[in-house]
Amino acid sequence: MIRHRRTWLHACLAALSTAAFGPVAAADAPLIAAASDLRFALDDIAARFARDSGGSVRIVYGSSGNFRRQIAEGAPFELFLSADEGYVLALAREGRTVDGGVLYATGRLALVVPEGSALRLDPRLADLAAALADGRVRKFAIANPEHAPYGRAAQEALTAAGVWDAIGPRLVLGENVAQAVQFALSAAAQGGIVALSLALAPEALGSARYVAIAETMHRPLNQRMVLTQRAQSTARAFYAYLQQPAARAVLRRHGFALPGE
Amino acid sequence: MDATALLLSLKLAALTVAILVPAGVLVARVLATHEFAAKPFVEALFALPLVLPPTVLGYYLLVAMGGHSPVGRWYEALTGHPLVFTFDGLVLASVIFNLPFAIQPLQRAFEAIPDDLRHAAACCGLTGWQSLWRIELPLAWTGLLSAVVLTFAHTLGEFGVVLMVGGSIPGETKTVAIAIYDRVQGFDMTGAGLMSAVLLLLSVAAIALTYWTSSRHRRQHDHAG
Amino acid sequence: MTTPVEGLHVAVRQERPIPLAATLACAAGETLALVGPSGSGKSTILRAIAGIYTPHSGRIDAGGETWLDTGAGVRRPARQRSVGFVFQNYALFPHLNALDNVIQAMGHVPPAERRERALRLLERTNLGGLEDRRPARLSGGQQQRVAVARALARDPKVLLLDEPFSAVDQVTREKLYEELATLRRDLRIPIILVTHALDEASMLADRMCILHRGSTLQADTPFGVMARPASPLVARLVGVKNIFAASVAGHDEERRLTHIRWFGTTLEAGHAPQFAVGARVAWSIPASHIVLHRRDRPSRGERENPVFGQIVRCVPMGEMTAVALRVVAGERTDIFFSVPTHVARRNGLAPGETARVSLLADGIHLMPAPPPPPALPRQP
Repeated sequence: MIRHRRTWLHACLAALSTAAFGPVAAADAPLIAAASDLRFALDDIAARFARDSGGSVRIVYGSSGNFRRQIAEGAPFELFLSADEGYVLALAREGRTVDGGVLYATGRLALVVPEGSALRLDPRLADLAAALADGRVRKFAIANPEHAPYGRAAQEALTAAGVWDAIGPRLVLGENVAQAVQFALSAAAQGGIVALSLALAPEALGSARYVAIAETMHRPLNQRMVLTQRAQSTARAFYAYLQQPAARAVLRRHGFALPGE
Repeated sequence: MDATALLLSLKLAALTVAILVPAGVLVARVLATHEFAAKPFVEALFALPLVLPPTVLGYYLLVAMGGHSPVGRWYEALTGHPLVFTFDGLVLASVIFNLPFAIQPLQRAFEAIPDDLRHAAACCGLTGWQSLWRIELPLAWTGLLSAVVLTFAHTLGEFGVVLMVGGSIPGETKTVAIAIYDRVQGFDMTGAGLMSAVLLLLSVAAIALTYWTSSRHRRQHDHAG
Repeated sequence: MTTPVEGLHVAVRQERPIPLAATLACAAGETLALVGPSGSGKSTILRAIAGIYTPHSGRIDAGGETWLDTGAGVRRPARQRSVGFVFQNYALFPHLNALDNVIQAMGHVPPAERRERALRLLERTNLGGLEDRRPARLSGGQQQRVAVARALARDPKVLLLDEPFSAVDQVTREKLYEELATLRRDLRIPIILVTHALDEASMLADRMCILHRGSTLQADTPFGVMARPASPLVARLVGVKNIFAASVAGHDEERRLTHIRWFGTTLEAGHAPQFAVGARVAWSIPASHIVLHRRDRPSRGERENPVFGQIVRCVPMGEMTAVALRVVAGERTDIFFSVPTHVARRNGLAPGETARVSLLADGIHLMPAPPPPPALPRQP
């Protein structure tokens, strides 16, 4: 019995002493909140940034709407790359940012169809109505229109195609557009509308097929980024780097349209 | 494999145990040895995290700890950053959502000690603390082990509350459970699979240890009786 | 009955949850048995003395200290009372061996001396060589001895034993009786023994206190209680079977007798002038004071109260035969006694046969009659 008590006591003391020295990772690499459609593009850019300037960043991917809420509640992000400029402008109005930010890219939608699905690819979603009617499409994935910009754009595209009401009961909503890709490519769904930047990534696509959706089917996905009030030098440097030609090239390669082009 | 996240999870679990279990011992002992009118409500309160959906718990924790709450504002005034989205906030949330995992096994173990043993300790001249340390804790050690193991394992696996209260900040609040979720979204199935396997092994080991010691304890007592 | 200041004085009173209205005292070096049926509150009173139960109101003084005085707000917790308590199931600490169990009670002893003193105590309670054993590896009798040793290790001002022999077999019990009888000769403290067994109380206690529903009814030597019960209730509680109703016929000051009238018979009882002539009384007689007349030889002698009746029950139980003799047919006048079986056979005792017995006058004890419930027999 004494043995048990002593080892427990030792474990407690060890835990307390390590805890006293604070959380594990270095706290100087700035936190970047990035919309999940940027995952592959931004990882690439961050690696180049580290090579070119030696600065490192910690990127957290998620839904823009969530980040907008978290930053409003004081989350320690120094830079916010939103997939929707509305969120950035709202934060600016609330005084959480240094300015109104800058447009860094325009997003595109893609229709993805997993292997084995009989839905035909078309930039205007022409086959979708028929596929819903004849049962070829039973489940269809998009990001949640409530707080994910790509979800909202998907809703606009589906409305433009005239199938929004019919597809409603068949929708599977991803918490952000990356999760929507998961769902769209899983065996349970027969297709989905996701970010083109994710559909272009080979790790994501696998054996699925995709086509870019016509930009006229939805309002433009103006992706705006902004430095928060907490931004320090590394974050500011990264902000500037993202507007340089090298970074813009990466974004273009990943399917984004660029401001000024 | 996200070593930072795993280390963070282990730290969170260890710290939660270190804070919650000693407090749980005191609370459980009071509950086991006293009757009072409000007792069923107090016990229900401590058991709430067992039945509440994690998101409900997370919501109320956000309300109670967030930037607009008195607690959150006090913490921010003290340290300069909010309580949510920090490791400290996670520890607080973790202590709360683990309450039943620490208190219930301890309370059962204390209840299993015959009252007359406590009375005998008092008649021997032992103070309450001496009785707790020399007589009751050694007899309740399986409950203690259960409380430690279950709290540790449960903290490792907690997702919903951690995500809501902590966000997913690498090195600060991105625990291994969150990291797995993130890996899946990043199409890194290998990484996700590896971390999941580690968590699975840890959880199985924890549960097996708990069951094994309590059955051994039962068998010892049967022989002694 | 005054007791020296150093003794134990107890007065407790409460209505709920267990009714108590008890007053008792025990002198240093005296053993008092608390006797009563289960539920009579004996354990509760013992726990109140120990301090592990707090009665609603009362006062407990021991060894010159006031341990409880609800009127003055004094309430010493158990660990501050120097009390040795032997629990009914011993309450030994199962994870400690015998020696460590005993040492727990030695907080008041300098640490260097504890082991030695504990070993000596274990020797004294016949547990030499068993100090390393945990309770699980000790027999019932050995566990009881450890419990006693632990209680004594406290150097207590009062020793309390709660039915300490009920969990062991008969043979072990008799050994333990002897050991306790030996131990108590050296202890100059009050000892309270709770038991429901009258023979145990008679053997081990100097005085006996009868409890019924939390009230102390009578306290006297064991023989005194059984020969001179204060009321028919006490008589029943101490197992006196022969309790009857009568009325006082007269007193004989000279011969120190009181005559009572019982179903047409006049009996001579011990002098009891406190009862008025004509008063209704209850009377009892212990079985030891009933003498069977031999068939062939009717006895002579003054104080004999010869009584004649019909045997209604005659049950041989080993060496003794239990007999019930009905004096008046149709009335509750059965006299219970027992005789050696060979005597019963020689005298031809059998149901239906007649027999004659003498009720020895100094065994006939008069008590106030209880208020008559409907079932009482007619007054003679």
